[in-house]
Formats: sequence, C-alpha cells, structure tokens
Amino acid sequence: MLIGIDVGGTTTDAVLIDEGRIIKKSKVPTDHDHLLECLMDALDEVVGEIPPEKIERVVLSTTLITNLIAEGKTDPVALIMEPGPGMNPDGYALGGEVHIVRGAIDYRGREIQPLDEDQVKEAAAKIADRGYKKVAVASKFGQRNPSHEERMREIVLRTNPEIAVEMGHRASGRLNFPRRAATTMLKAATQERYRRFAEEIAKAVSRRKIEAPIYVLKADGGTLPLATSVDHPVETIFSGPAASTMGVLALTPPGQTSVVVDIGGTTTDLALILDGVPLISSEGARVDSYLTHIRAFAVKSVALGGDSRVRAEGQTVTLGPDRAGPAFCFGGPQPTPTDAMRVMNLISIGDRVLAEEAMEKLGREIGCSAGEAAQKVVDAAVEKLLSEINGMFLAWELEPAYRVWEILQKEKIRPQNVVGVGGGSLGLVPLVAELLGAEGIIPEEATVANAIGAAVARPTLTLTFRADTERGFYTVAEDGTTGEIRDKKFGQKEAEEMARKLIVEGAERMGIGEYASQAEVTSSEVFNMVRGWATTGRILDVGMQIPAGLIPEWTGGGGR
Amino acid sequence: MIDRREENKDRARKMGLIFFPAFDWAITPTHPEREERLLYTRDQIFEEGLMDLPEVEEYKPRLAEHRDIARVHFCIPSVEALVTEAHLIAAGSTLVLADAYMKGEITNAFALVRPPGHHSMRVAHGNRGFCNVNNEAIMVEYIRKKYGIRRVAIIDTDVHHGDGTQDIFYHDPDVLFISFHQDGRTLYPGSGFVDEQGGPKAIGRTINIPLPPETPDEGIHYVLEELVLPILKEFRPQLVVNSAGQDNHYTDPLANMRFSAQGYAKLNEMLAPDIAVLEGGYAIETALPYVNCGIILAMAGLDYSNVREPDYHPGRFSMTRAMEANIQGTVEYLQGIWDAREELTAKAVERAGPFYRRHKNIFYDTDGIRERQTESVKMCPDSSCPGYMTIDTDAVRGYGQSESGFGVFVPLFACKSCREEAREEYEAHKTDSRYNYIFFQDKNKDDFRLFSTRIHNERVY
Repeated sequence: MLIGIDVGGTTTDAVLIDEGRIIKKSKVPTDHDHLLECLMDALDEVVGEIPPEKIERVVLSTTLITNLIAEGKTDPVALIMEPGPGMNPDGYALGGEVHIVRGAIDYRGREIQPLDEDQVKEAAAKIADRGYKKVAVASKFGQRNPSHEERMREIVLRTNPEIAVEMGHRASGRLNFPRRAATTMLKAATQERYRRFAEEIAKAVSRRKIEAPIYVLKADGGTLPLATSVDHPVETIFSGPAASTMGVLALTPPGQTSVVVDIGGTTTDLALILDGVPLISSEGARVDSYLTHIRAFAVKSVALGGDSRVRAEGQTVTLGPDRAGPAFCFGGPQPTPTDAMRVMNLISIGDRVLAEEAMEKLGREIGCSAGEAAQKVVDAAVEKLLSEINGMFLAWELEPAYRVWEILQKEKIRPQNVVGVGGGSLGLVPLVAELLGAEGIIPEEATVANAIGAAVARPTLTLTFRADTERGFYTVAEDGTTGEIRDKKFGQKEAEEMARKLIVEGAERMGIGEYASQAEVTSSEVFNMVRGWATTGRILDVGMQIPAGLIPEWTGGGGR
Repeated sequence: MIDRREENKDRARKMGLIFFPAFDWAITPTHPEREERLLYTRDQIFEEGLMDLPEVEEYKPRLAEHRDIARVHFCIPSVEALVTEAHLIAAGSTLVLADAYMKGEITNAFALVRPPGHHSMRVAHGNRGFCNVNNEAIMVEYIRKKYGIRRVAIIDTDVHHGDGTQDIFYHDPDVLFISFHQDGRTLYPGSGFVDEQGGPKAIGRTINIPLPPETPDEGIHYVLEELVLPILKEFRPQLVVNSAGQDNHYTDPLANMRFSAQGYAKLNEMLAPDIAVLEGGYAIETALPYVNCGIILAMAGLDYSNVREPDYHPGRFSMTRAMEANIQGTVEYLQGIWDAREELTAKAVERAGPFYRRHKNIFYDTDGIRERQTESVKMCPDSSCPGYMTIDTDAVRGYGQSESGFGVFVPLFACKSCREEAREEYEAHKTDSRYNYIFFQDKNKDDFRLFSTRIHNERVY
C-alpha cells in the first residue's frame, strides 16, 4: 500500500492507495507552526487500523522550506565569493554579509588567478567574530574546478570548526554564478532546521511501526529518500504544485497534453503537461527575492481564486488579487467568484440563497441583475485564466534556443485537456476548456489529486557530464565528481556510456538505484577543439535525466 | 520624423539580446566558423548570469523569409540554394530584434549570432570570407521597408573591411557606411582604402578608415572621437548599426590588431549603437568570452570595468609615434572628404554622364569562385532619386562552368520613371540568352523576381 501526503496552505491531504485504487483519503487543517503534527494526523487518519507492515511507501510533500523562508526563520548566512573577471560583483545583491576575494577560475576550469588566501582568512575571522554559524563559499566556474571553493572551506573551518560551510559546486553544477551563490546560501540557511524536521518525521513514523521507506517530493515532481533529502533541502520547496501536476499525470491517460488548473482560495496554479511530460521551467525557481538553480515545474501562479475580492468598476468587475474572506454563500462578508459560480449552478456547494443575495448586491453596484452580475464575474475569471494559459504556451514557444534543430522542430501546440484539481471552485474548468477547444476534465479524486501525485511520483535525477579531452578530465556538475580521461579517442559514444554509468552510480548513492534504468540522454554534443588548424581535443557535453514520472506500482497495477 | 533614438532616451533601459551560437552548424569541422566558436562565450555569459539581469531581455531567434534575403541579394542560382537554415536563423535573429527595437520594447539590441555576413555583396554566388548573406543589410532593408525610416548609419567595427555591406549600400546616399579595419594591404579582403568613398550620388556616405597593424584601443577610440562621432552627429541617422566584429582583439589568430575587451566595451558605450550584430572574431577562448561580456554590459548600461582578459593589464599596448601620425593623417583626409561631400557629389555626377559604370573582379575565398561584374547606375536627373542599377555578373566556380546573370535593382526611394525603366530592362532581358538568370529587385514595391532563361521559369519571392 502507498501513502501520499501533501501539506497545502489550508489543508493537509493524504491518500492510501492499494493496487491502483484510492481506498482511503483524509483532510486535516494545516497548522504551519506544527507541521509534524499535521502530517502525522493526516497519516494516522488514512492508516487507521491497517497493519503497518502492509505499507510499502510513504511520500511527503511539505511546506517547511517555503515557510521558513517566507517567515524569515532561516539561519543567517555569510557569503565568501570569488567572482573573478566579469560583472561588477556589487551588482549581485546577495544579502548583507558578503566578502569578495581575489582569485579566478575560467570557463574550462583553469586557474587564471590564484586564490588570495589572506583575504579569505580575514573574511573568515570577521564572519566568526560576528557570530555566523553558516557560511556559503562560491567561486565563478567553481563547478568546473572546485579547488578554490574547497580551499576557502578549509580556511573557514580552521578559523572556527563550529561553522557549517556549504560550497557552490555542491549546491548546483549549472552555469550561472549568481544563482549558484544564492542556492548555496539558501541551502546553508535551511539545512540544519530541515535536518531536525526530517529526523523528527523519521522518529514519528517509526513510532507507528511503519518501516516502509519514506520519500520527500521535490519541486521537479521527483521523490528523494528522506535521509538523502537532507543534502538537498531547498529542492523540496514548491512541492505543492508539483504534487498536483503529478496527480493529474496519474489521473489522465498517458501521453496527452494537458493544462493543470489548481484553483485555490486566492490563487490558481497553472502547469503544463506536454505529451505526457510535465514541463520543467528552463530556468531555476525564484525563491523569495533570489533567483536559484532549483529545478521546478513551470508553474504560473495567478492571483485569482474562489475567495478573490470582486470590485465593481463602472459596469464591469475586476477580481483579486486580494482575498475577500470566505465566500458570501459560506457566511463570508462579501461577494466572491464562488458566489457567482453558485448562482450560475457551476458548483453545488454553498448556500444558494446567500449566493443570490451576494450577486444582487454586486448587481446593484454595477447596474444589472444578480444573474448578469454572476455572469460578469465568471466571464472575468475565465478570461483571466485563458489569457494566462495562452501566455504560458506562448512563453514555452518563445523560449530561447541555441541550436538549428531546436528552432526548426518547435511547433505550436495546444492542449487536449484542461484538468481541474484542488478546491471547490472547479466550475470554471469546463468553461476554460471549451474556449480552448479542449476537453474539460475533473477527475473523480480531484480534491486529493495532490496527495495522489505525491504517493505515486517516482524519483528524478539529472546529470550534466562534461569531458575536456584536451585537458584530459571530466566533471559531473551536480556533485562535483571529477576524473581523468586518458583516451585521446574518447568520443561521443564513450561519453554517453560514461554518463550512464555515472548516473547509475549516483542513483545508487541516493538510494534510488532501482530507477536508474529509466535514465535517458537529454542532450549530447561534441565540440571539436581546433588550435592552429589541428584538432587538439574535444569537449563533450552529455545531459542525462531520470525524468518525472509515475512508479510502476501505479502504472502497472490497475491504475490508469 | 519617428526618431526612436530620441524617444528611447527617457525610457527605462533594457537591451534586447539574441544569443544564437548554432552549436550544430559549421562550414567544415575544422573551419574557424565551427560549432565551438561561441562555446566559451556561452559559458562566460551564462555563468555571469547576464540573461537574468533586469536590463537584459533575451529573445528567441526565428527564420528569415526568403524574400527578406531577396530584398538585398541577387542569389545565384537561387536564395534556397545559397542559404542553409543556420543563415536564415542568423538573419532572422536580427529581424526579431529589429521589430522589438522599432516597437519600443527595448532601448538597444545585440544579435550575438553566427554565421556572419558582412563580406556578402549584393550579388551572391557563394560564400566569401565565411559569409553567405549579409545580416546587417537584410535587417536594415527590412526596417526601412517595414517602418518607413530612411537614414541609417552602419559602423563596421570588424578588423576586416566590410566590403559586402559597402557594396550593397555604395550608391545609397541615405545609408552612411563607415568601416575601420586593419589596412587592406596587410589583411583580407584587401580593400577598404580611403578612396572608396561611395557612388557618384553618394560620395562621403562610404567612409573607410584603414588602420596600421597593432593599433591599440587608444587608436580606435581616437578615430571614434575625432571622426566617426562628429560625422554621425551631422548625418543624424534614425538608426545606428554596429557591424560588430571582435577580431581587432590582440589575441585574434587571423589579424594583427591590439584591441582589448575593455576597448570594445568602451567603443560600444561611445558609439551607442541601436543594434549591434556579431561579425567575425576567432580568438574563441582568449577574446570572445570577455569581449562579449563587455559589450553586453556596456550596451545594458552596466559597469564593465571588471571585465578583463586574464593576461591583460591597462597600458599593456601603446601607440607608436608613426602609428599616431598615420592615423591622424587618415582622419584629417577623411574629414576633408566628408566636409566637401556635396561638391564632390556634384562633380562626380557631372563626370559620370547618363550612366555611371564600374567593373569589379570579386574572389570568393571560401568557395573558390571568381566573379566579374559590370555595375551600371542611372544618373537620374531627379536629385532626390538614387537611380536604378543593373549588374552584369559572370562567375566561375573552381575550373568549372560559368554561371552568368543580369540583375536590375530599384532602390527604396527611386523615382517613378526609374522604376518603370528598370522594369522594362528586366522584361527585355528575359529573352537574353547570354545570361542564365535574370533578377529583378524593386525595393519600393517589395517585388523580387528571379527568371531562369534556361527553363523559362519566373520565381516571385
């Protein structure tokens, strides 16, 4: 049996799945100050009298990191950065305690200026004096040659062994130094609290005699074993929209193109599934004011929901972005889109008489009947969603491309389905679908699609392999692995084989070895290096991933 | 006058950028124009996070249409045969940025794209100097047609003479073409001397500034300050284009100048082009990552003082006395030509008679083609009409058969009688069996036709 739990803004949802069927679900109010208790309440409710040994897998999607950052409860972090030549580092705006040191690595990982160790020592002393317990060190192109970051770490630790030091190349191996520095800082700022939380969860689950492996959902729709997730705390941010999207993937036929519409009280999250694959944002996620390297689904959050404030403007209405409180038909103070939907019979929840009253009140303000007012509100909401959805497809089409084939093959695509999940405001979904010429789908278990998504999501993993045969070495961006390449004939085939071997090893280290066979090559490029009219070597770039997907227990076990 | 340049001054600054490295396209695997060329530049500008800056907006390339190419070039045997998809994307990228700029979405733009184009002339039989079609010319003519502007300045800052761009606009008094480059006696393509000053009706609208080998930043900034900027101020262009080669760099393997990344960044700050388009530059590791980073920061209005090559220090290169005297002499001479351009134009028109003719021998180094041309321009009595032009071309590829063509070209601002006469010339030559291809280009009507005399087929682009 599988268990999925998703902590949402208002409720924490859980499901228990057996042989591809949802056999139990629960919803408990979310208490952000007592997340562990929420999770366990939801868990206990679905487990009930089921013997714990029957449970095979537990997946959690939590808001812990999101809340820590939103509430400013993260640990203070000092940053030591080695920017080398390029932009003025003052422009990076990465917080208060930033120390800039001399030294540089270039794009091929060559040292072009030695690290100024005295400057690092000075910075470390100041940082220790000021009481920082967390330090991030990041050097430009540190992912191509981590030696300066490692040296900086040593120096900081020698100054004060109590300080926890995070290195840039361990936080991300992708190009983009400011994002890497920010991601490293966020990791340093959240890791300790996240670890404590993870330990508490492990204890609480084991107290219930559940020995099944526990996984945590990430923003890219993949799962990580709880123990491993401690090394990647920030990747668990934004797992809520990822959970809903994975839920839709699980509840719709495979291989289709769908828009996921998750309508909440004040916001609606939109995501895309293209030919059965959830769309990953080409850039990392924005966290608070920081741009990061965190892989996440391309989710568009629209300030519109069932409880949005409705404002009269002449003879028309505007919606949101703020919340009006609960809908009038649920005893709230003001008219909301939920009331409009109730009046138009698009939904059947809430008090119909109160809803009518709300729309009459609105109608008086804009000079029309209750029915007309409701129509205007619904039209405005549908129009807003429609334009955001079209905008998302357009943005996908207009994503920059760097190769001839990418420009030639990208066609205009439109959704087959509009799938509504989440709260009670699903009445808009069929209308949006009709206007898009798509099928409107509200799955039977729409209200717990998020928990289902968590329960059946499989692990994801990426690997960025680069070999430089002229310099005779390779690097793996994600974990900073490097090694020698002696074979001068090392070519594309060898590079892909090696990348595959490395991703299998990486998967095993992460405790997800059984999924390594799902790894696929996402990009593979060879650059002949010519110096003085002779080929002197090759740069080989291979990208691999275990993409977001569903576990075989769901796809092969009676689920769709 | 719709002056985007004026309009943009008060806006929030945002540069448009297209980075199209064509990682899957090369002339040949070991050619300088190969996949690897912008690899390290990609690494540097992505690692800097330049695409995330609020001052930078990244755009996606698109393919140019065949008619965009035919608006500029007489391609033999056809547009389709001469361009690959990579060429259409490089040219199309400039059009995306042109539209974004003209619509006011951005304050300036940089097309960091390959393959390059500035050696491609009006008639194109193949690849010359790594170029098949002229990206800047395609963009300028697209903008002039679509947005109705007239006066454009193209400053060619590549180390090689921009002979293709010069050829295309040689008779156009509304396009100011300025090229500074390493002296043609010491470098490909062996042209770009001070006496190439434009056709009779456009004297002074082509300005060539040959510079001695080893000229450092200082020399080029001097030329800019003393000659280029004052001329621009007087010419009052509605659009300034930088044909932005990066091979003046001190490490470039194909040339001998001493320009630095700082020098390039400052050049772009001084020149303040509306749109820059990458041309050459083959020091792919030692120059391009730094030069491109510097140019992007400068165009985005950001501090570029921290951009430098690992082995560079200020004052590393200096001018010799002889160099200084040489450059000063060139600048003074060209100032004289510019100041006297009206009289020189009048004299040249008078000397030319009813038609101005010149003969050219053109060599296509990359494709090994020898071409002979006779260019003939009607000296229209209407002084505001540049006159239509015909070109008689004959080209031999290797030791093979020759391909010949006859092209008729009507400029954007030609008068009615020139347009009619040109059309008659085209129709008359359709039966002229001396030529394999007859081409007609009426920029005024945006009408482009290629007629094959062998199969009697007319293609309309």
